[in-house]
Amino acid sequence: MSSVSYGDNKHFEHIKLPMTWAVMGVVGLVCIIAALMLLGDRSEQVEAEAYAKRSGFDSAAGPVNNAISWPVQKVGAGTNWLDDYFFAVSENRVLRTKVAQLSQYENLYKQERDLNSRYEKLLNLRTEPEMDMVAARSVSVSRGPFANNRLIDAGSKKGITFGNPVITDQGLVGRIVGVSPDVSRVLMVTDVTSHVPVMVMRSDARAMMNGDGNTGYTKLDFVRGRDSVRVGDQILTSGDGGIFPRGLPVGEAVKGVDGVWRVRLYSNRAPIELVKVVKFKDFSQLPDPSTLLRSPPVSDILPPPAMPRVDPQSVAQSQAPAPAAATSSSASPAATPARPVNRASSSSTAPRPRPAAASSSSSSSALPPEAAQTSTAASSSPAGAQP
Amino acid sequence: MKPLMKRGLFERSPLNRGMRGGMASRIIGPWDWILAPALISLAATIVLATAFQPLGLYLPEPVTPLLLAFAWPLIRPSYIAPFVLGGLGIFLDFFWGAPLGFWTLNLMLVYAVLVFARTYIIGQDWLVVFGVFLLTELVFFGLCTVVMSIDTGSVPRLFGVFEQAFATTLFFPAVWYLMEKYLHADVRFQ
Repeated sequence: MSSVSYGDNKHFEHIKLPMTWAVMGVVGLVCIIAALMLLGDRSEQVEAEAYAKRSGFDSAAGPVNNAISWPVQKVGAGTNWLDDYFFAVSENRVLRTKVAQLSQYENLYKQERDLNSRYEKLLNLRTEPEMDMVAARSVSVSRGPFANNRLIDAGSKKGITFGNPVITDQGLVGRIVGVSPDVSRVLMVTDVTSHVPVMVMRSDARAMMNGDGNTGYTKLDFVRGRDSVRVGDQILTSGDGGIFPRGLPVGEAVKGVDGVWRVRLYSNRAPIELVKVVKFKDFSQLPDPSTLLRSPPVSDILPPPAMPRVDPQSVAQSQAPAPAAATSSSASPAATPARPVNRASSSSTAPRPRPAAASSSSSSSALPPEAAQTSTAASSSPAGAQP
Repeated sequence: MKPLMKRGLFERSPLNRGMRGGMASRIIGPWDWILAPALISLAATIVLATAFQPLGLYLPEPVTPLLLAFAWPLIRPSYIAPFVLGGLGIFLDFFWGAPLGFWTLNLMLVYAVLVFARTYIIGQDWLVVFGVFLLTELVFFGLCTVVMSIDTGSVPRLFGVFEQAFATTLFFPAVWYLMEKYLHADVRFQ
């Protein structure tokens, strides 16, 4: 046998592996691992278990991003200070105009709030459960078309749990999908896996708001009914399904160039820097659903509404010619709201009725308004309700 | 073995290659063209994810590992690069909150195709390489869109996909820089 010698006694250096195919073997191995991970991932179902494996990574990435964003926040604060300084005069003019407009709304708001509290008492509504909030700062954001997430610097140490809604001073931002002790991951409403049950405030129509990676607008799907949505309608969370509480402001309806209804998000009006996490429990997380019904009625919590002053002398004079009508009205004081519901009885000289809080023992205070009206009319008809 | 691996990965001192030692002006190790660019890509991703909106606008969100998935197979087929690229993909999955394996799979598919096509691309004018890069982006983001649509049942907004592709395209000079620096820098790469 003759041995081949290359003269340098380095036999193995001349052995060449098929490099391209060997590399492709490595690539294939990594591809198989990635495909198995993708098949095993359930993040599109937005469940707590699907994101649990990411909590370790998030708790490490949060402080890193927090440290990186710190100088950026400082620079941003400095820029804002300069902006405030240079644009103070023009901003002041705009603010004066806005104050003049808003002062009108303030008066209207006070009137409506007072009226609303009366109606709540009459209907004997149950209060919404108390909800605490936790403030947090956004430290990282992914805003691509395939994932819209944020990391915020508050976690389970502050009582945040999976599913808690996240809002800004403008409106709904998203919900918590991953929790670690100091960092939480927020699934934005614009993410492709986000589906939020909403309602149109004007028509009370229900719809589903689906994200598609668009940072400012989300799709409004499954809108039912004719003319149920118009451009500019306010969109709120409907509370259906128990994921979000009812009534969180989301945005306003716009129609896209493709004819699809979309929601212009209120949260996009300003940079999302500080957020509030609402400690709202998803209904499905409640151990006992009956706890929802244990909230006390409004009449047990709210103070009685302010009553209009009644001059006793004028009441005495007005009671004199029609004692029967006065007696019948005072027999069911809670039945008649502050505004007159029966022309006949209100045009009579009977005194203004008292609200339900003043007569908590009244049996008719628990009735719905239609039934209460009927009882009022029935009791007053023999004496005062003449045509 | 350990010192050799350390020297091969991190040190730039020429190895004793006998006659060929004089031919290699400089030995390019994996640290130079794989690990350091990977760390820069990772850092760029973290920095651009900062929650900062100058003038109300969002920072761009380029897929910087795609630049490496394009440049690495053209520079040289490597055993280390696929693992590092897979690691970058997993990092993106975790950091951006995408389904696990999503970015890893798509990046690896780009790498696999370019390993086979490298002989047709290297040595071409930059305009040709740029054209191939655009084609690669088209395939990559198209693949991402299809995979995401299948996985979630919702089609991502295509204009958003275009925006991300555009932001990634702006970083093409980094690809050209890597190729110019490392393609002909080491005779072992030929």
